[in-house]
Amino acid sequence: MYCLRVVEVNRFERAEVVSLKFDRKLRGHPGQFVMLNVFGFEEIPISLSSPDTLMIKAAGETTRYLQKVKKGDLFGIRGPFGRPFSLPAREEKSYLVAGGIGIAPLNYLYARLKEMGRDVVVIHGVRSSDEILFDYPEIATDDGSYGFKGNAVQLFKRLLDTSEPFRVYACGPRPMLFSLYREIKRLGALERAEFSLERYMRCGIGLCGSCVKSGGLRVCVEGPVFRGDEISEGDFLV
Amino acid sequence: MLEVEVAGMKLRNPVMLASGILGSKHSSLLRIAEFAGAVVSKSVGVERREGYRNPAVLNRKCCIVNAVGLASPGAEVFSGELREFSMKSKTPLVVSLFASRPDEFASLADYFPFASAFELNLSCPHAENAGMVLGVDEKLVKKCVQVIKDVTDKPVFAKLTPNVTDIVDIGRAAEEGGADAVVAVNTVKAMAVDIFSRKPVLSNIRGGMSGKALKGIALRCVWDLYEELEIPVIGCGGISSWKDALEFILAGASAVQVGSAFYYSYRAIEGIVRGLEEYLRLTGEKIKDLIGAAHENA
Repeated sequence: MYCLRVVEVNRFERAEVVSLKFDRKLRGHPGQFVMLNVFGFEEIPISLSSPDTLMIKAAGETTRYLQKVKKGDLFGIRGPFGRPFSLPAREEKSYLVAGGIGIAPLNYLYARLKEMGRDVVVIHGVRSSDEILFDYPEIATDDGSYGFKGNAVQLFKRLLDTSEPFRVYACGPRPMLFSLYREIKRLGALERAEFSLERYMRCGIGLCGSCVKSGGLRVCVEGPVFRGDEISEGDFLV
Repeated sequence: MLEVEVAGMKLRNPVMLASGILGSKHSSLLRIAEFAGAVVSKSVGVERREGYRNPAVLNRKCCIVNAVGLASPGAEVFSGELREFSMKSKTPLVVSLFASRPDEFASLADYFPFASAFELNLSCPHAENAGMVLGVDEKLVKKCVQVIKDVTDKPVFAKLTPNVTDIVDIGRAAEEGGADAVVAVNTVKAMAVDIFSRKPVLSNIRGGMSGKALKGIALRCVWDLYEELEIPVIGCGGISSWKDALEFILAGASAVQVGSAFYYSYRAIEGIVRGLEEYLRLTGEKIKDLIGAAHENA
């Protein structure tokens, strides 16, 4: 474990999300996560949203506390850990499908793909316009308060052009990932899609077995990013 | 070449998965069972147990420090998970049990009729009312083993703690209670402090240490137990290569258990098994003839 200091705090209050920028870049890749030790609270796995930022949505005690973090605060870090997103071939168009805070790791992937000059579409589904975090053009809101009325998977189905080679990268709540998984399976494209999965983790280093999914695969080491063909439907139902 | 017999159990190789590592789900056990001689499950007690909150595990340079706190879904739920494993794998399954009183061990055995053997966790150094609190007391150790031997015909291993004045006294108590083997050792009492925040790292403050740093300590325990006990000794602590495994076997271990080495590679056991195989092919020996061989040269 090492310590990093927060140098910038960005609050998205209506979305109950905070973005913390640290004093050093982490040597990681889009899709990887760190074990963030919030002193006095818990140590939790959080995906990188850029080389030096983490975005955290208030969910439990620790993540609620994190909304109040100030510049200068110190955090313990282990990692980055886990398997990152793989990168698309030159001719492939990438569809990044995010639900809610699932946009965090995909935002990092988007930046990386843009640097590489790849063709990318980001689709971000949220409940209402309050939860929009970045100004990507393709936004879906459940209540129709902004952009497309419906969810991210419905918008993805509209935008996907199957006549060209494509890749899909996804992160979001389990029901959303499950519905996307079924859609991709229907298209026979599971090996061209990658899903970032979430599980309760204790060690983050492949030992404790808390995050093991089907096939004996550890979300913290063989994941959190899995190709569609490494996932079974039961993984979305736990 | 690699076959051994430990406490009446025939193993195709002497390399077992240690308890507490990747042993909570049948799917990870199945993956490891492809190469392991046997697998030992995560310890289970009668009731569900939450365990300590994170941080519960810390990787340091030469070791892992943890205080998971015997997190367990409880015997009934866990028996379903392990049954799934036993239906799909021929690799022997050792079920690790923890309890807060000797008589509790007896009630646990019934949940696991498919177990090949039981391992009593008398050695977890960071759980309240279980593990080491029993394992430092010779009378209690003997009692725990007797109680479970009364209700099962399966082999029973006693997993010992190195956090005692003389591990041989505890090993002897287990033997007198009727244990079929001892496993040496569980983690050494340890902790970690973060120098920036100036706070203990683990939520429980105190924990246990495993991994490479443990090897010399565990090896000495195996050596001493081998000299004094009639029952087989299973070596555990800091084994991460085939050379480590061989060292334990030469010191008297009839089999070895591997846990923290999975931090370095998910193929830790496969690597050790292949390495031992290569070695024996070169020397033309059988592994069972090497158990305790170093004692003859001492």
